[in-house]
Amino acid sequence: MSARKCWSCGHEHAAAEVICPACGKVQPPPPAETALDKFALLGFAPSFDEPEAVDDKFRTLSRKLHPDRFVRAPAQERRYSLEQTTLLNDAYKTLKDPVRRAEHLLSLRGVRGDPKMSPQFLEETMEDREKLLEAKMSGNGVEELARGVREKRDSTLAEVRALVARGGDLAQAAELLARMRYYARYLDEVEGRTAEI
Amino acid sequence: MPAIFQISEPGETRSKEACATGAVGIDLGTTNSLVAIVLGDGKPQALAVDEGSTLLPSVVHYRPGGGPGSVIVGAAARRLAADFPRDTIVSVKRFMGRSSADPETRRLSPYRFADGQSGVVRFVVGEGRLVNPVEVSAEILRALRSRAEERLGIPVKQAVITVPAYFDDAQRQATKEAGRLAGLEVLRLLNEPTAAALAYGLDKRSQGTFAVYDLGGGTFDISILKLVEGVFEVKAVGGDSALGGDDFDRALAEILLEGKERTPRLVREAIDAAKAAKEELTKNDRTVVLFHGGRREITRAQLEQVILPLVEKTAAPSKRALRDAGVPEGKGLDGVILVGGSTRVPLVRTVVRKLFGMEPLADIDPDEVVALGAAVQADLLTAESPQHDVLLLDVTPLSLGLETMGGLVEKLIVRNTTIPARATQEFTTFADAQTGMDIHVLQGERELVQDCRSLAKFTLGGIPPLPSGLARVAVTFQVDADGILSVTAREQLTGVSQAITVKPSHGLSDEEIERMLLSSIEHAEEDVQARLLIDNRVEAQRILKAAEKQLESNGDLLSAEERAQIEASMQELRDAAAGSDHHAIHERIERLDHVSADFAKRLMDRGIERALKGHAVAEFDRGEMSPHAKKAYEALQEKEKPEPSNAERG
Repeated sequence: MSARKCWSCGHEHAAAEVICPACGKVQPPPPAETALDKFALLGFAPSFDEPEAVDDKFRTLSRKLHPDRFVRAPAQERRYSLEQTTLLNDAYKTLKDPVRRAEHLLSLRGVRGDPKMSPQFLEETMEDREKLLEAKMSGNGVEELARGVREKRDSTLAEVRALVARGGDLAQAAELLARMRYYARYLDEVEGRTAEI
Repeated sequence: MPAIFQISEPGETRSKEACATGAVGIDLGTTNSLVAIVLGDGKPQALAVDEGSTLLPSVVHYRPGGGPGSVIVGAAARRLAADFPRDTIVSVKRFMGRSSADPETRRLSPYRFADGQSGVVRFVVGEGRLVNPVEVSAEILRALRSRAEERLGIPVKQAVITVPAYFDDAQRQATKEAGRLAGLEVLRLLNEPTAAALAYGLDKRSQGTFAVYDLGGGTFDISILKLVEGVFEVKAVGGDSALGGDDFDRALAEILLEGKERTPRLVREAIDAAKAAKEELTKNDRTVVLFHGGRREITRAQLEQVILPLVEKTAAPSKRALRDAGVPEGKGLDGVILVGGSTRVPLVRTVVRKLFGMEPLADIDPDEVVALGAAVQADLLTAESPQHDVLLLDVTPLSLGLETMGGLVEKLIVRNTTIPARATQEFTTFADAQTGMDIHVLQGERELVQDCRSLAKFTLGGIPPLPSGLARVAVTFQVDADGILSVTAREQLTGVSQAITVKPSHGLSDEEIERMLLSSIEHAEEDVQARLLIDNRVEAQRILKAAEKQLESNGDLLSAEERAQIEASMQELRDAAAGSDHHAIHERIERLDHVSADFAKRLMDRGIERALKGHAVAEFDRGEMSPHAKKAYEALQEKEKPEPSNAERG
């Protein structure tokens, strides 16, 4: 962790600190090109599991950083508050969702990009789509389909975990990640069903 | 400034300063509008602003001719609606941020519309005068502001204004613009259900997950909120921005109008009669409607029959919000809060009970609860030490996205994302040597561009001519804490960028906003006069009160003649304060100050004498004083120093 100086009081503190420990002023966001560790932003180590008490931590930080707390502050602090709260909200959303969390964890290890998917998987997705369409038309069986995809999502997630735990090939993790992303989107679509009817 | 009383009454000056921020909460409703403020006791209170009522009917009447007094707002305007249906704008909120092509402007209504250049709705009122919905709303806000100032005796400059959670970007922008036009600094646009929950949460000190079912005059909102340790998190919102009690009235009016020729006047009368009947049927099973010279009995069953399809339209958004919030079917819900006058309708309560499987809460007046919550938020945002330590975390009501190839919408920020929020997406050019890229910003849940609401279109130029797919443009959406969007497009290679705060494509153009601001400047002089009058009146009252107190406790310092002179000046000031000439009030404040200068000096001496004798005199503890009193005190100290050039002293 690199250190930086507080813009207000000059106190040197860890770059991950969003509030200066010495004077309590909100700090500017890290430069845009920095790879942001969303786990660290909320004070956690990267993990596949939802960090314990992440809700509490989010609430505590929101209380300190939210723009509502800076309505009377100078423009500069208001801007920092907006930027930091935006990052905080995004980090929280990432940490609360199993797929986003795994995705971010892998991206911190340098896994990113869209890998080429196996034709086998692409065929599988086509079948899933067709089944979903049929189920939607007939109005039944949607929940079973969702359950099946949810299971696939969870088992893929378990695979990624095991892979990373044994220090396996991270390029392979990228493909698993793309699968998880697909399953997540599929589930979003399924769950959007009741609303449209 | 009269130094004497300021130094003697630090406590009083301070209490004036405490509420001098004049930050109010405003519920700008479809049917009624309210203004509330948090007072010294920490409780929000709705102010009586219209004929003794806290409800100001959201009705604006325009008299022909223009000029001062040509605009009437509230119950008085409502009474003119039947006689002047075209010059009296009712439920203007339905038109906020809408274009003249919107289905909303084509519904049953008595108005005459003019075509605006940018498609903005404009009403023709008072012999050819054109007003748009923002201007009409600004009149309501102006009335609320000036009447609140009268009630409170302090200037009101800042406000939290509530909007339906389901309001889109255009409707939010229009509301903010109306606030600005009325001379208010809009501290925050707050979602109505969130405001209601805030009022309840503070009242009950409860924790848990709550649904807020808000059915007002023109809009339906559903929000699911979670309250834990003073942080209110909005988990999901949904609703229908064109569904409310007004639709009940219209549905019933259709029955009354059957087979009759529809003149604007008759339509207005039918709607009013239907509204009265609906209210009557909340308490009784049947009622008699007097309409167009006839009598007609309407039963509650008849009303329920025509409004049932409307009330049932609230089920789908409610279910979706419950699911989005992770409490499907209402399992794990701790309570349902009712907001909005339309939730008084018995059928609505029946539907709610069935929908959520529990008895809803309605302890706080459903008409006032939103304004009360807004006042709490205004206090949270402005007070140095707010009365309550609560934080609200709100969400985007609708997804925000961009048009991509083939008329599809790519969502960048999905609905129910906690705000402020940001998202960036990269796009590439699809033609060789393409130097510009069209950015089309959309709002809505659907996949196709044509089914979403167009918010803005702009072109990023200056892209270097490269083979297709090589130039990369990053588009960033940033939603601020008011839920208002700004968009930046940046070409990654050259850094060419362009940023806009989204102005809705069919919203108000810059010229229109300028025209509105100019015409509001015409009113500005009147506003300034009103403000000066209030300021001077408040000052006069404060001084008189302080003077009375000093005469009572330290009157022995004065001769009978001196006392009579001061009392005469006080009476003159009282008389002036009862009038409406701020110059006269100011002059007499100065006069009283002058006449009592010697008294002030003697009071000082006595104070110092007491202090020297070891009596602690609270007034002289400068740390306790308001900045105002401190300044006055220091000025007096300065005067007390021997000044050789001043012959009268020493």
